[in-house]
Amino acid sequence: MTNNKNIIEMNNVGIRYGQGPEILSDIKLSLPQGSFYFLTGQSGAGKTSLLSLMYLAQKPSRGQISVFDHNLNFTNRDQLASLRRRIGVVFQDFRLLEHLSAYDNVALPLRVGGMDEREIKKRVTELLTWVELDSHMFDKASTLSGGEKQRVAIARAVINRPDLLLADEPTGNVDNIIAGKLMKLFVELNKLGTTVVIATHSDKIINDFKYPRLHLQNRGLHIYYPSDTSMFGGLNV
Amino acid sequence: MSNTSYISRKQELPLKSENTSLFLQIIISIAVFIFAITLSGVLSIDSMISNWNKSILGSITVQIIPVNNTNKEKALAETMAYQEKAVEFLKSVNGVTKVTPLSDEQLDELLSPWLGDDVDISDLPTPRIIDVKISPDANIDFAQLSMDLAQASPQATLDSHKLWLNKLISFADGINLIASTVLLLVAAITSGAIFYTTQMSLGLHHNIIEILHIVGAKDAYIAQQYTKRMGFLGFLGGVIGLFFAVPAIFFIGNLALKIEGGIISDASLGFGDWTIILSLPFFAMFISMLTAYYTVKQTLKKML
Ligand SMILES: Nc1ncnc2c1ncn2[C@@H]1O[C@H](COP(=O)(O)OP(=O)(O)O)[C@@H](O)[C@H]1O
Ligand SMILES: [Mg+2]
Repeated sequence: MTNNKNIIEMNNVGIRYGQGPEILSDIKLSLPQGSFYFLTGQSGAGKTSLLSLMYLAQKPSRGQISVFDHNLNFTNRDQLASLRRRIGVVFQDFRLLEHLSAYDNVALPLRVGGMDEREIKKRVTELLTWVELDSHMFDKASTLSGGEKQRVAIARAVINRPDLLLADEPTGNVDNIIAGKLMKLFVELNKLGTTVVIATHSDKIINDFKYPRLHLQNRGLHIYYPSDTSMFGGLNV
Repeated sequence: MSNTSYISRKQELPLKSENTSLFLQIIISIAVFIFAITLSGVLSIDSMISNWNKSILGSITVQIIPVNNTNKEKALAETMAYQEKAVEFLKSVNGVTKVTPLSDEQLDELLSPWLGDDVDISDLPTPRIIDVKISPDANIDFAQLSMDLAQASPQATLDSHKLWLNKLISFADGINLIASTVLLLVAAITSGAIFYTTQMSLGLHHNIIEILHIVGAKDAYIAQQYTKRMGFLGFLGGVIGLFFAVPAIFFIGNLALKIEGGIISDASLGFGDWTIILSLPFFAMFISMLTAYYTVKQTLKKML
């Protein structure tokens, strides 16, 4: 792998739902390997929609997308599954399997990948201990508190050591202290080589961590860099 | 160390608690019940037909009814002429390999148990008999043959017992065709029930399936959970259906034995037949798994 490789490339991408108007138009975007981006924009600007293209849950209504050098126009279902295994996603509403334990939820990406149960046990136990959920390991997800669920969701997203980590407002439901801890986790993963995109509303987080921003506005994508201070002061995100 | 090695891994799709399970099990049980009984009918009719066929195939006899005439000499001559015509005709029939009119001595031998040794049959207007050998793979319509024979030689008649058996075989073949259609229908209904419940279930668990896909599950991973579950339900339904079907088959068999004429006694289920019937739960399992797999694969194509 070369250093200037792009994890995701989009060209002329448009998204629409049903017969409605395009909510995003002419999106052009390259995410270099190892980069860290915030994804910002007002509520309804299309952050979740753009992320769903990135985690391959949706196809664009037009344009080209390449993920890990695979043109999605020429990718079959099984190949898509293989690509998804390299992507970790943290959803705003967690999307845990509520009837399963924290352990089984975190083990999920490893199991669908066919990993040996002994190895799974080692990894899941380790990670759940690290996010301080060892005492709730075998509690059903439905019985966990919001903060606990969030940690399970994040553990599930990173258990596979993904090449790409996508998080949709991961700090939306937690206090500033937890939010800070989560951000540290993402930064650590990024240092280990994971490309990270985090959709967020939080001015504080954006200002504390000087990463470039993908900003959605008027159906278009604008990229701002931390040195571009005028944009950081001027935009109310 | 905590006892994590004792965790029983739960299926991601909670298929065991679905309330369509009972419905499916009842459907499959009934299907296998009907299937088993129909199949036992088909198999015993098959054995009956093949027994009848054995008695028909190989040879038939043609009788020449003697001509009535006060002049014995003339009567015999006319009868022999009819026999000659019949022989000629029979030789021309496709599938007939050998035509042998029985000699006076052979006829004597045949009749002596009835008439006693002292009677000279040349004095009596006895029927002449022609032995006709048929090739085993000949496909002869005996009813047609009988009519053609009468045309060629008015005094000649085909052995009526065999003619009748032949008609019975046609009838049994017809019954078998209907029964086979029933078998197909029952299998189709089972398959259809699995198809719809699987589809319903996929819709019901749409969210779980989406998450499975997002974490990288291939369709086969999801399909496997369905084939496992449906295979289990199919097998269980099969066992239950068979549990009721086997006594019913014996009961019907006993009733059939009481029918007079011994026709039905040719109908029996052999070891191979029972093996097929007793393997129906596996067959039900196989159909269930196959249908579930196909349904999941097809339905998921339209999903994420
Ligand atoms: N499944 C959907 N069906 C129809 N419209 C949708 C759907 N998801 C999102 N939208 C619309 O697309 C626009 C962008 O939504 P979203 O991507 O959720 O924005 P954000 O995450 O920035 O709030 C909104 O106008 C929303 O109503
Ligand atoms: Mg959103």
